[in-house]
Amino acid sequence: MTINWQLLMPELIIILTFILVVIFDLFNSLQKTLTAWITIIGSAIALYVSIDMLQIGTEGTEFSNMIQVDKYSLFFNVIFLVSTILVVLISMNYLGRQDRRQGEYYLLILLATLGMMLMASGNELIVVFLGLELMSLSLYVLAGYFQRSMASSEAGMKYLLLGAFASGFFLYGIALIYGGAGTTSIPQIASALTVDARSPLLLSGMFLLVVGFGFKVALVPFHQWAPDVYEGAPTSIAAFISAGPKAAGFAAFLRIFMDALQTLQSEWIILITILAALTMTVGNLVAIAQRNIKRMLAYSSIAHAGYVLVGLAAANKDGISGAMFYLFVYCVMNIGAFGAVILARTEDGESLMISDYAGLGFKKPLLALFMTIMLLSLAGFPPTAGFVGKFYIFRSAVESGQIWLVIIGAINTAISAFYYLRVVVAMYMREPEAELDFLAYPRLLIVALTLAAIGVILIGILPSYFLSPAQISTFL
Amino acid sequence: MLLSAVIFLPLLGAILIALARHILGESGLKWIALIVTLLTFAVSLALYTGFDASTHEMQFKEERAWIEGLGISYHLGIDGISLWLVLLTTFMTPICVLAAWNSIEKGASGFMISLLMLETAMLGVFCALDLFLFFVFWEAMLIPMYLLIGIWGGHRRIYATIKFVLYTMAGSALMLVGILYLYFQNDNSFNLMALYGRSLSHQHLLFLAFFIAFAIKVPLFPFHTWLPDAHVEAPTVGSVILAGVLLKMGTYGIVRFCMPLFPEGVAAYTPLIVTLSVIGIIYGALVAMVQPDLKKLVAYSSVSHLGFVVLGLFALNHQGVQGGILQMINHGLSTGALFLLVGMIYERRHTRMIADFGGLSKQMPIFAVFFMIVTLSSIGLPGLNGFVGEFMILLGGFMSDSFSKVYVIIAASGVILAAVYMLWMFQRVMFGKLDNPKNQALTDLNLREIVVLVPIVVFIIWIGVYPKPFLSRMEQSVSQVLQQSRSTAALEAAAPAIVLDTTTKEAKKIDE
Repeated sequence: MTINWQLLMPELIIILTFILVVIFDLFNSLQKTLTAWITIIGSAIALYVSIDMLQIGTEGTEFSNMIQVDKYSLFFNVIFLVSTILVVLISMNYLGRQDRRQGEYYLLILLATLGMMLMASGNELIVVFLGLELMSLSLYVLAGYFQRSMASSEAGMKYLLLGAFASGFFLYGIALIYGGAGTTSIPQIASALTVDARSPLLLSGMFLLVVGFGFKVALVPFHQWAPDVYEGAPTSIAAFISAGPKAAGFAAFLRIFMDALQTLQSEWIILITILAALTMTVGNLVAIAQRNIKRMLAYSSIAHAGYVLVGLAAANKDGISGAMFYLFVYCVMNIGAFGAVILARTEDGESLMISDYAGLGFKKPLLALFMTIMLLSLAGFPPTAGFVGKFYIFRSAVESGQIWLVIIGAINTAISAFYYLRVVVAMYMREPEAELDFLAYPRLLIVALTLAAIGVILIGILPSYFLSPAQISTFL
Repeated sequence: MLLSAVIFLPLLGAILIALARHILGESGLKWIALIVTLLTFAVSLALYTGFDASTHEMQFKEERAWIEGLGISYHLGIDGISLWLVLLTTFMTPICVLAAWNSIEKGASGFMISLLMLETAMLGVFCALDLFLFFVFWEAMLIPMYLLIGIWGGHRRIYATIKFVLYTMAGSALMLVGILYLYFQNDNSFNLMALYGRSLSHQHLLFLAFFIAFAIKVPLFPFHTWLPDAHVEAPTVGSVILAGVLLKMGTYGIVRFCMPLFPEGVAAYTPLIVTLSVIGIIYGALVAMVQPDLKKLVAYSSVSHLGFVVLGLFALNHQGVQGGILQMINHGLSTGALFLLVGMIYERRHTRMIADFGGLSKQMPIFAVFFMIVTLSSIGLPGLNGFVGEFMILLGGFMSDSFSKVYVIIAASGVILAAVYMLWMFQRVMFGKLDNPKNQALTDLNLREIVVLVPIVVFIIWIGVYPKPFLSRMEQSVSQVLQQSRSTAALEAAAPAIVLDTTTKEAKKIDE
C-alpha cells in the first residue's frame, strides 16, 4: 500500500518542525528563543503549503479513508496555522529570555496544532477523537505552564478534570452511534442512517456528542470552565485556547452533524438553536458584570461560540461557510485582543482590571489603538472583519428561516457593544486612577498586533479574498 | 467618481492628519482639517450645478461589484432629496471645524480625525444605494460620534455617549434583520433600486424593523430620551453635527426606505406615527419651556421640530413631504446655529444656565443680532427659513387625507409654544439688567466667530425669501416617493374605507 504523502504535507511539516524543536531544545548552550523561531518558520511553511493546496484544490483520502483532506480541512488548517503563528509571536517576549523551559512550550503548541489539524480532517469518529485528545492533553499542560503561579496550576487542573469529562461524554457518544449505525466512518454513518433509523441509541449518541463538543467549544451550559481557565492560564495560552482549539472543535462539530448525522437534522436543529440562543445571551450578559479583562474576554469568547453556532443552526451551505469565515476572523481578532492585554504589562505583571486601563488612550496611544480596533471588531462594528463575519452568519440563518435566532443574535450584538466599549471608555474617557509603569513595548508583540489589526481592517473592507475561499470550501 | 470623491475626501484628510500630526503641530492640523472640509464642500457644489432637476432618477451613479459572493455592490447615487442632505453635511462640517478652533484642549488631532471620519460616514449614508453599504455607513457613524461625545464632552459624557450608542445599536439590530430579509426577496441582492416597485411580503413587520431604527435616530417620541443627554454632554461641535446632520439620517431613512418600500406598512401605521409626532411636538415644546439650561432647551426644541418633519412626511402629499424635507435643512441650519451661539457664550462664561445671564445685548451687540435672527428662524418668522418649512408642513397636513385635521390643529399650537419658549429664553438672556459682574466683562464675537455664523444666516434668509431653487430640485424625487408609497396595494386597502364612507352617508340620507 502506498501512501500519498503529498496529501499530508501540512501535517508532515508540523511533525518535522516538532522533531527539529525537540533536537534544538536538547542543546542548553543555544538560545532558547531559537525554538520559537523554528516553530514560526515551520508553521509558516505549513501555512504556505496549505494555501497552495487549497488553491489547487487538492483532495483525497488516506489511511483507509480515515483521513479526508479536502478544501474544508485545508481552510481550517489555514485558521489553525495563522493562530499558531500569531500566538508564538505574542508568546516570545511574554515568556522572557530567561525561561529555560520554553522549548517544551512550543513543542506542546505544535502538538496541539497537529491535533487540531487531525480533527478537521478526520473522516472517522475515532480519528476525530484522537485529534481531540492530542490537542486537549497539550492544552492541559500549557494552561498550567506557570508552575509557580497558583492560578495557573489551578487552571490546568480544572481544565484537565472538566476536559476529561467532556472526552468521556464524547467517547460514549461515539460508542452509542457505533451501536446504532454499525460504523464510525462519517460518510458510512450518513448512508447507514435512513429516515426511519431514529433509534433511541442514535439519538442519545447524538445528544452525548453535543455535550462533548459543548464542553470543548464552551457552549452554555457547558461553559463553566472557560473563565477560570482563561483567567489563570498564561495570557498567551488563553489566547491560544480561545482561538485554534475552538475552531477545531467547530470543524469536527460541523462535519459530524452536517454530514454523518444529517438525517437527524430535524432533531438536532432545535437543540442547536436553543444552545446558540442561550450561549449568545448568557455569554454577553455575564460579560457585562466582569471587572477582569481576561474574564471578560472569556465570556465574550463564549458568546462568539454562540454566533458560530447560529451558522450550524442555519444548517445550510452558507451557514457552514459563514461559520468557517467567522472562525477565521474570530481567531485573528481574539488573539489580537489578548495580545493587547499582554502589551499592558507592568513590573508586577499584567494589568488585568479594566479600571487599570483608565487614561491609556493618551498615555499609551498605540496600545489603546490596538485594543480599540480588536474590541470594535469583536463588537461587530463596520468596517471591521467582525461585522462582515456576523453579517454573513446572520444572512445564512435568515436564508433558512431562523428569523428569531437572528433577532436574538442581533440584539446580543447591541448588548455586547456595552462591555466592549466600556474598555474603550476607560482608555479614552476616564482619568487614570493609579500611576502604573508599563514596560516598554516588545517588538515582536507589536509585529503580531500590527498583523492582526491590518488583517481585521482589510478583511472588513475587502472581505471577498477571504470569503470566497470559505464559500467554495464547504463539504456540502 | 464625483460622489466617491465627496465621500472619501474627508477620510483622506483624517488619514493625512493621523500620519502627519507630529510634524504639523496643533495649528497645522487644524488648517488641514479646514482646507479638506472646504475642499469637500467645493467639490460637492459640483453636484449642485450638475444636478438635473427634471428627473427623479438617481444621478451621479457609481456601481461596482464589491463583495460578489454576497451580492453586495459599491453603489452610490443621489436624487433631489439626498442632494440637499449631502450639501447640508459638506456645508456644516467646515463651520464645525472653524467653531472648534480654540475650544479643544486635549487631543486636537483626535478630535479632527473623528470629525472628518464622521463626515465620511454621514455622506455615505445619504449616497448609498446598496442596503449593505448603507448599513455599513450607518453603523460606522457611531464610533466617531461616540468618541466626540465621550472624550470631549461634559461631566456626564460617559453616560450620555453609551446611551447614545446603545439606543442606536438596539434600533439598527432590528434593521439588520430587516435588511437580510429584504435581500432574499430581492433575488439575493442588496441593490436598493431593484427593490423599488417590488411588492414585498411581510411589509408591516419590515416597516417596523426599519422605522424603529429611524425613529430612534430622529428621535420620535417616546424614543427621544437619549437626545437631551447627548446634546447637553456633547462638545459644541458635537451638538451641531448631531442636530444639524445626524438626526436627519433618521428622517432621510424614512423617506428613502420606509415610505417607498413598504406602502402597506405606511398605510397601517400612519395614524400611530402621526399621533406620536404630534405628542412629540407638544411635549418637546412644553419641556423646553421649563429648562433652566440653554443647551437642554435647544435639545428639546429639536424633539419638537423633528416632530413637525415626521408629520409632514406622513401627510403623504407634495406640500407635506417637500415641507418636511425643507424643514430638515432648516432645522439643521437654525438649530446648528443655536448650538454654535450657546457654545460661544459657554466658552466665555463656562455656564449655560439661563439664570446666570441677562442683559447680554448691551455687552455683546453683534452676538445679539445673530442670536435674534436665529431665534426668529427657529420660531418660524415669515421671511426666514423656518416659516417656509413649517407652513408647507401644516398646509400639507390640512390637505392630507391620511389623517384627521385635529392633529394639524394641535400641531400648529406647537408653533405658538415655540415662540413662547424661544422668545422667553431670548428675553431672559439678552434683555434685562446687566447686573452679574461676570457678564459685564464679556467680549463680543471675534472675526472667526462671525465668519462661522454669517454663512448660516445667509442661507436662513435665502430659504426664507426664495425657497424655489431648493424646492424645484426635490420636486421630481418627492413625486416619485409619493407614487411608490401609495402603490396599488395601499390604494386597494384604502378603497373599501371610502366605499364604506359613501354608503354610510347614503344610509344617513335615507334615514332623514
